[in-house]
Amino acid sequence: MRKSHALMVYTASLILLGVGFVLPLLMAIRGGFLNPDGGLSFAYLRGVFQNPIYVEGLLNSLRLALGTTLVATVIALPLAWISTRYHFFGKGVLTALLLVPMILPPFVGAIGFQQIFGVYGSLNSVLGWNIDWLGQGRWMGVVVLQALSLYPVLYLNLSASMANIDHAMEEAAQNLGANAWHRFRRITVPLMMPGWFAGGSIVFIWAFTELGTPLIMNYTRCASVQVFDALKEVGDNPFPFALVCVMLLLSVSLYSLSKLLLGRQHYAMQNKAGTSFEERRVRGPLACLLMLPFVLVISIALLPHVGVLLTSVASPGSWYQTLLPQEWTWQHYEEALGHSMTLSSIRNSLIFSCSAVAVNLLLGIGIAFVVVRSSLRGRHVLDTLAMLPLAVPGLVLASGYLALSSLISHSAWAKANEELFRFLDIRQNPALFLVLAYSVRRLPYMVRSAVAGLQQSSSSLEEAAANVGAAPSVSLRKITMPLITANLIAGALLAFSFSMLEVSDSLMLAQRQEFYPITKTIYELFQRIGGGVFLASALGVWAMLFLAVTLIGSSLLLGRKLGALFRV
Amino acid sequence: MPVPLQIQDLVKHFGKTRAVDHVHLEIEAGELFFLLGPSGCGKTTLLRCIAGFHQPDEGKILLGSSDITRMAPHLRDTGMVFQSYALWPHMTVFQNVAFGLEMRKCSRSEIQKRVREALATVQLSDQAQKKPNQLSGGQQQRVALARALVIQPRVLLLDEPLSNLDAKLRLEMRAEIRRICKDAGLTAVYVTHDQKEALSVADRVALMNQGVVEQVGTPQELYQQPRSVFSAGFIGETNFLDARILSVERGRFTLATPIGEMESSSAVPEGTVLGDPVTLSIRPEAFRLDEVPEGMPNCYDAMVHDSIYLGETAQHQVLVGEDPGFNLKVFDLNPRIIAREGSAPARLWVERRDVIMLPPSGSASRPGSSQ
Repeated sequence: MRKSHALMVYTASLILLGVGFVLPLLMAIRGGFLNPDGGLSFAYLRGVFQNPIYVEGLLNSLRLALGTTLVATVIALPLAWISTRYHFFGKGVLTALLLVPMILPPFVGAIGFQQIFGVYGSLNSVLGWNIDWLGQGRWMGVVVLQALSLYPVLYLNLSASMANIDHAMEEAAQNLGANAWHRFRRITVPLMMPGWFAGGSIVFIWAFTELGTPLIMNYTRCASVQVFDALKEVGDNPFPFALVCVMLLLSVSLYSLSKLLLGRQHYAMQNKAGTSFEERRVRGPLACLLMLPFVLVISIALLPHVGVLLTSVASPGSWYQTLLPQEWTWQHYEEALGHSMTLSSIRNSLIFSCSAVAVNLLLGIGIAFVVVRSSLRGRHVLDTLAMLPLAVPGLVLASGYLALSSLISHSAWAKANEELFRFLDIRQNPALFLVLAYSVRRLPYMVRSAVAGLQQSSSSLEEAAANVGAAPSVSLRKITMPLITANLIAGALLAFSFSMLEVSDSLMLAQRQEFYPITKTIYELFQRIGGGVFLASALGVWAMLFLAVTLIGSSLLLGRKLGALFRV
Repeated sequence: MPVPLQIQDLVKHFGKTRAVDHVHLEIEAGELFFLLGPSGCGKTTLLRCIAGFHQPDEGKILLGSSDITRMAPHLRDTGMVFQSYALWPHMTVFQNVAFGLEMRKCSRSEIQKRVREALATVQLSDQAQKKPNQLSGGQQQRVALARALVIQPRVLLLDEPLSNLDAKLRLEMRAEIRRICKDAGLTAVYVTHDQKEALSVADRVALMNQGVVEQVGTPQELYQQPRSVFSAGFIGETNFLDARILSVERGRFTLATPIGEMESSSAVPEGTVLGDPVTLSIRPEAFRLDEVPEGMPNCYDAMVHDSIYLGETAQHQVLVGEDPGFNLKVFDLNPRIIAREGSAPARLWVERRDVIMLPPSGSASRPGSSQ
């Protein structure tokens, strides 16, 4: 890559990330430290820790995150262990199905979850009991739901790092007298720690700041919901921003810690000469035994969504203290898809997501080229900056956008040119900020995907093209692009499906009904008394089907490489 | 205590390929035994069967007096040095070496003492607290060796231990490994594809090809008395000539060859009778171009061409026999004749005992005689 081009792309991406990511981040932080008179103040930050409600919210969020990470680990570890060591009939299909929950929005699943596990739900009607499975305070319910949708991130990381361990490492231990348990504890676990930490920190941050699931489960005493509720209020209340600062600080420190550990332990993957794992082929009873955890996890993970599906076809009032709905109907789909709010939200989501993917592709390819193919001194800064959104909760970014927009719309300049600056006022038109939010938050996946593609296609291929007379633009078009297309498409599909189901930014930024994306519409419908739940479920089912198709598409394209996208 | 190792009629299949094919070996206590062969010959598979990482389909492995064929790898007391070293990157050198002793529930003081001794043996006493990735390739190799030695294994297994080192280090470590094994009196099985390594270090060598043991013997036996075309071709360089036995008298065979009659005093392949075809193997350095001693039977008029002069030796191509002639490779020590361009006439001769008779084989299956 020529230096001047690299410098151009570098500057452009830096500016875009600066405006779309760093600036709102600073705005959110500023909101937590700004006095009404414009001075710096730590009073709000102190206030957060002095207010028992906020402290409880933060502690609850931490418990949610810890619980979710633990449960997700318990689910993912045995699955990863089995899948790296054994081969059995149907393994390919099962491991693919294992990833499906990742794209099913847990907050939609929460609707079905309550139908099944509620006091008057299916489970109790089968057992004839009267237990509230979701428990007092619903903490366990939120943890389980989140873990059931986030375990694939851990599974992908764990199995990638297990597959990377030189098999001879374990054989050496066995040779020196270590039995299976000692090998697992002393060799395998320490060697896959970086993978666990990489996946675990993503899961932890995700669960720590998740907004949709606690909202629908009506678990209001956690920090994310508190921020959401406080920001809904009119007026410039600084406390939610201070709370956001605390969450950001926690997330970023955890993320940095994982990067640090990963950087230090990354040698674990350097021993390449050894034998890789031989997957043991098994049949018969053992194969069935190994399949069991997969089937179990998949069916439990899909259970909430089955609940949503059933809700969407149940006649109102026909699913109460019974295993299944007693009367079926298609009416909700007709109603939901005929509803003006749903139709416009589908259109909105498609427009926002497609624009976000376009921005992502452009930025992702540009950044990947600079990082992999140039020798610019600051290229690692760009790489780090592009990955940083993984550490920044959507909630934080959304509040930053809100603060930024309110600052702009209150400025004299904007007031004088109201027409011109309308699209910068979130209350009037959130489209620009939603697209920005979607693209920035999914940029890490796109960049990883493009970088992986470029690293796999050696630059000597481009040099060979140049050597036989191809201009840089020609070799880019004819050699490089075709080689990384699969990665780009997969990254784009992933960014697209995540954008379609993005919750926190969507709920917080879209404030006028005409701009609601799908997730906000589902939430609004869900809150309506009467048939709202059914319409929300019908729309949720539609969205899940739509996304299932995208995921299958991307997994077909990338195969096992899909896992690489979820590594920090 | 070193113990003998017996491999009895071992067979190991991978799918349809037979990686180890009825292998029978008897390795003596304290012997440094080599498994040598081209890649894919089954030598590593055999070693991994001994370590227990592969389960043989047939046959037995006896270590000392105990049958370990079905024993779990971690109960076998075999210390293995892996090709990739397989040093655990999350542990220090000390912890790596101590691991096997911990598994044997040794006391802390004993572990301290024995690890220190083992590290001293491989001259790494001052590196104990480093992580493996802070060490050079040669040092990593030594750690791997120390880790296998410290448990005082009943047999030491080495899987191409030097293949990741550069040429100079490899030479150093060869001697080092032999010294350490002999000092400790270890029974050791050493896998390599490097014939020089095997010839210079081994007590005895088993040469393997396509899962079968072709020949077992000391390095000298293997080089000087190969028993098959494969053995002769794999180790060192040689010239092959198709021949037929014309007559025999008091252990001296007269043979018909493409370059004329030739006499041999080497052993004849089993079951060969008069008139049978044999393949002759004659090492390039066995051919002589200097003055012919009196009464020497195998003398031929020859044309020397395409000489490569190397100072103390020269490598010639030599044409012998009627036009167009049979081309032989000849290494000449203290060379007098050099024919870089054109050719020079000379007398070529070879002693009877250097003409080795082997069971005949189609020329297609010969390994390259020019390696």
